[in-house]
Amino acid sequence: MSYQWDFSGILRYGDMLLIGLFGTVKIAVISIVLGVVVGLLVALLRLSSNPWARKPAGAFIEFYRNTPPIVHFFWFFYALPILICVNLDPFAAAVLALSTQSGAFYAEVFRGGIVSIERGQWEGAKALGMNYQMMMRRIIVPQALRRMVAPFVERSFELTKTTALASTLAYAELLYQAMQVNSITFRPMEVYTSVAVLFFVLLFTLSTLMRLVEHRLSRVG
Amino acid sequence: MEYTWDFGVVLANFPVLLRGVLLTLELWAIALALGLALGLGLGLARVSRRAWLNGTAIAYVEIFRNTPVLVQLIWFFFAFPIILGHQLTPFAAAVLGLTLNTSAYCAEIFRGGIQSIARGQWEGARALGMTYAMAMRRIVLPQVLKRMLPAFTNRGIELAKVTSLASVLAVHEVMYQGRLLSSTFYRPLEVLSVVAFIYFLLIYPGSYLSARLERRLATRD
Repeated sequence: MSYQWDFSGILRYGDMLLIGLFGTVKIAVISIVLGVVVGLLVALLRLSSNPWARKPAGAFIEFYRNTPPIVHFFWFFYALPILICVNLDPFAAAVLALSTQSGAFYAEVFRGGIVSIERGQWEGAKALGMNYQMMMRRIIVPQALRRMVAPFVERSFELTKTTALASTLAYAELLYQAMQVNSITFRPMEVYTSVAVLFFVLLFTLSTLMRLVEHRLSRVG
Repeated sequence: MEYTWDFGVVLANFPVLLRGVLLTLELWAIALALGLALGLGLGLARVSRRAWLNGTAIAYVEIFRNTPVLVQLIWFFFAFPIILGHQLTPFAAAVLGLTLNTSAYCAEIFRGGIQSIARGQWEGARALGMTYAMAMRRIVLPQVLKRMLPAFTNRGIELAKVTSLASVLAVHEVMYQGRLLSSTFYRPLEVLSVVAFIYFLLIYPGSYLSARLERRLATRD
């Protein structure tokens, strides 16, 4: 294997990759924030005792858990505009796809955290004369939050990986920018290897942080 | 909303989608079988006491888990042939990428399972005069496999979703066929919705099974 590596082209267009990296971080952060909002709403509906709220929320979650993200991306970009009669740009469609999908997963994280709190805690709080709201705020949610952290960060990590799919809609994130650099330099080996390395650095930092947080939490309680 | 739905196009071209479904299943089955086999090897390397073997397996797993699958697929299709010296077909590149990716996750499942076996089992096997390989094959792995079944079912579900990314390499699986139909007949809303529904039909039985399995194993322990 006598392949001559040549990174000069990539270095010349390095700023294009940096723009892509910025695009990846931007779409990830926005989708995580919106995903949390969607997730909280869906989790509240899912925990409700009214079947008219609970069932649709369950269906929403199951739909997103059982279909591939790339279908959502294409659906929001090509299909939804027909229904709402407004054209979506790649960024908006990608954010919609990512935040509704992660919302479905976050909803399960939030619900799982609340449900995991033992019955005794509810009963104890009731015995102290607390009403539902007080129990939630003072007893259940603070304990549940700690249990949610690890799966929440894990989900956000998965979401960050999924942002690469926005390249299929021509949103200027890291992979899409790399494709552009490749079409100028004709150096797929160097370009795609560099992109893999950049993603690795970004994601490995995240997963290392994730493990640290998990370790800290498991020590605390 | 004045839009009139028309599924005529989808019905008339259903064989096209069906052919895509078959290729999706083929991709899934091959990648899962090869990924499990390779994952077992990597999992064994992960619990090995030889530092170089262990280190290599860790690096492999971390690389594949900390980069987006789409980047891996694109790397294997556009970059890898350059060092390989001959072009890969889209299907071969997709199988390669999906197999290696899924094997990294399987390796972690095997490792977790093997490490969850109580020390006493190893000691008992050694007391009976078994070698490491014998103890692994006769004592540890048979117990581990049952315990890991839910995790493997989940992996199978994730893999089924990830096969849709092969459409980016122009593998004619169901997502690709859907994109083809929707751009040919300009009916993205109907076609993409049907594609999403097809994926749901393919994947939901798996996740239903996995949830039941998890519950059953949880009550038995």
